[in-house]
This record gives sequence, structure tokens and C-alpha cells, in this order.
Amino acid sequence: MERDQPSVAQTLMHEMGLDSGAIERRKRVVALEPDDLTRIAAVKHLVVEDAEGHTAAFFNHFANLDEARGLLSSKALLERARQLQKQHLRALVSGVYDLGYIEQRIEYAAVFASAGLEPRVFLGAFHMLLRSVGTSIMKRFEGSPTDAFESFMSLKKAAFFDIGVVNDVLVFERERLIRQQQESIRELSTPVLQVRERLLLLPIIGVIDTQRARFITESVLRSIRANRAKVVVMDITGVATIDSKVANHILQTVTAARLMGTQVIVTGLSPEVAQSLVALGIELSKLRTVGDLQGGLEEAEDILGYRMVARDGARPVAAAPALD
Amino acid sequence: MAIPVLKNGDVLIASIQAALTDRDLVELRDEIAEQVGRHRSRAVVVDVTALDVLDSFATRTLRSIAYTAKLRGAEAVVVGIQPDVAFAMVELGLHLESVATALDLEEGLAYVRAAERSRARAG
Repeated sequence: MERDQPSVAQTLMHEMGLDSGAIERRKRVVALEPDDLTRIAAVKHLVVEDAEGHTAAFFNHFANLDEARGLLSSKALLERARQLQKQHLRALVSGVYDLGYIEQRIEYAAVFASAGLEPRVFLGAFHMLLRSVGTSIMKRFEGSPTDAFESFMSLKKAAFFDIGVVNDVLVFERERLIRQQQESIRELSTPVLQVRERLLLLPIIGVIDTQRARFITESVLRSIRANRAKVVVMDITGVATIDSKVANHILQTVTAARLMGTQVIVTGLSPEVAQSLVALGIELSKLRTVGDLQGGLEEAEDILGYRMVARDGARPVAAAPALD
Repeated sequence: MAIPVLKNGDVLIASIQAALTDRDLVELRDEIAEQVGRHRSRAVVVDVTALDVLDSFATRTLRSIAYTAKLRGAEAVVVGIQPDVAFAMVELGLHLESVATALDLEEGLAYVRAAERSRARAG
């Protein structure tokens, strides 16, 4: 179907990497074969005829569950879910499981995801649906239980194919929330502050891992350009421990800043950190360090040519050591 | 594409405006080495603002431009390395050791003037 804007389901499909290749692999995972399609076609009418009843079995199960409150409390959502469930039953026995089919299933799953339904709750109700379908198949094949079982199992393969998709959507949506939270924590946790004209302060608190180090370096470099910074004071008082990896990340940031013509002064190395850096034997000659943040800011001001003087004019405060 | 080398007082300015082949870079190096002597320049500013990639050959050539200029009596400053480029260079271990760098052309010229002043004081 041609649309100007991709639908929510299409976007999700793309984000989850569900293309025709992935669909074929998923079919192999549940071992859906041509024989199954024949058997499904044979019981098609049983499913379609009583679509209402099967759908009711699915939703009645939710009625007894506290966990499904999110779904039941919204009339609009529930109505939409019912509609999509009926559509699902018709599609399930159509024998065509292609991109369009997956798109429908994703749309179906997205409704449950937006209701905050946990995968296990969905599975519970889905079982009731299958049970209802299974019962009508057993009735139809009363004389030959083996045939009934085979037909039902074939249908179940298609159903498990769907469960796979729905479960992935539910999990993906939940992980999206986590990803968004992590992203905002990262951004909040590493501010780059302008203290004076052309002087940036970068306080680092907490654990630095590779991802965060990358993020820090990128945001520092961007801020250097945006603020035309000449000096950056990087305060690592809040970094409890340092290993060789973290030390290398710090060195990388310093080196990258230097390539842009900016000096980085590292401050706040605690005795433990200093000792472990020495013990690790990390080459620190390129690093310009000052004991504490105050000293670092004073040195930075000195580089920039500022001199801070007390208001009575008697006592110059920022007596920074001479440059090398 | 030949890179123009402009003369401004006793400073040479080479502004790179487009992606370079290795050959262009080598030609730039030779051109600067030659012009530093001809104009008796005291400093060379190489502006790489327009470049969105600096590979190991380019880095090495920039370094050799700086050293060559130094031997010919002029200090070289590389200016305008973009944030992404700087990050990529560091990841590749290209550090442009002992070559002066500055944020942009303006800063580079300020650096050159400051170096000149301190030389004058020292001399």
C-alpha cells in the first residue's frame, strides 16, 4: 500500500529490522511448511465462522486479570483491539504470511504495547484463543482425533509465528522506554558549562564507560566549536575509580580537543586515582593536571589572560603559577 | 586541484577548500616549502575547515609541512579541524604531535602574533 507517511507499524517494522528475509527466517523457526498451509486451509471456515466466539474467549480472559487493567480501562483501545483480533483470526487462516501480514500483526501488537500489557498476560489470553479454536476443530474432526491434532498443530505453527512477532514488539517497546531514559540520563549527567568567555567547565561524575566517554568527547568537541573555547577544565573529582580504559578515554578527549586548538586542564584527581594511574603506568605527560577545580580555573584564567582582583584592589586573588 | 597559498605580511595562509588527493597534499607541501623561503615568511597557517576527513597520509603530510616550514624558519599552525574529524583522528591514533593547532583562522593568526611577540621579547 502506498502512503505518504509511513504508519506507526511500518516504522516499527523498519526499526525492528523485519524485512522479507527476516520473515522467511521466522517461518523456518516455527517450521511452517506447505503441508501446514493445506491443513490450515481445510479448517479455515471453522475459524472464520466463529471469529466472534474465539475473540470473546480471548478478551474474557482479560476480564479476570488485574494485569490487563490498562487495556480494559480504555474503551477506545479495547474496541480497537477487538477489531484487530478479528482481523487477526481471518488473516491467520488465510495462508499468506508476508510483509503485509507482519505489518498487521505489528499494528495489533502495538495496541497491546500502548496498553502496557506484559507479554505473559498476552500469552495467557492467546492460549485461551487457541483453546477456543482447538475445541471447534476437535468437534469437527470427532471421528479422527489424529487429523484434528495435525490440523490444530499446523494452525499452532502460524499462531506461534504471530506470538513471536507480538512478543518482540512488546519487548521492543519496553526497551525503547529504557533507551529513552538512558539517553536522558546521559545528557543530564554530562553538562558542558561556559564559566567565562572561551572557558568551558566539564564536571564528570560517576562511572565512565566506553559509550559515555564517547558521548562526553563528542559533546565537548561540539561545545568547543560552538563557544569558541580556548581552555576546557575537566573536573574528575566525582570519578571514584579509574582504570586504564577510562584513562585512555580521558586522554582521547584531551588529544581531540588539542587538535581543535584547545587546551584541556584536568583537575580533581584524588590520591587513589593518582596512585592507580601511576601504578597502571599510563603515559600522562600529555595531560595537564591541577590539584583541584579552583586551581584549574585559576590556571585557565591565567592562560586566557584574566587576572582576578579583589574589589578593594589590595589583594590579587588569582595568583596562578607561571606557565611552562 | 592546486591549493592557493596566500601571502599576508610575513604569514603564509593555505586554505584548503575541497577534498584533496595525496598528490595535492604533496604539492602543497612543496609549494609552502618554496614560498616560505621566497617571501621570508615567519609563519604558515594551514586551514582545513572544509575537510571532513583527515587520514593518516594527510596527517603525516601536515606534520611534514610543519617540520619543513620550521626548518625553513617559519612556524606552522593547523587550524579548523572539525569536531568529528578530531574525534575520528584520535580514534585512529593520529595525534599530529608537536604541531600547533588552533580553532579557526582568526585564532591561528592570533597564535602566530602571540608567538611573534614572545620571540621579540626573548630576542
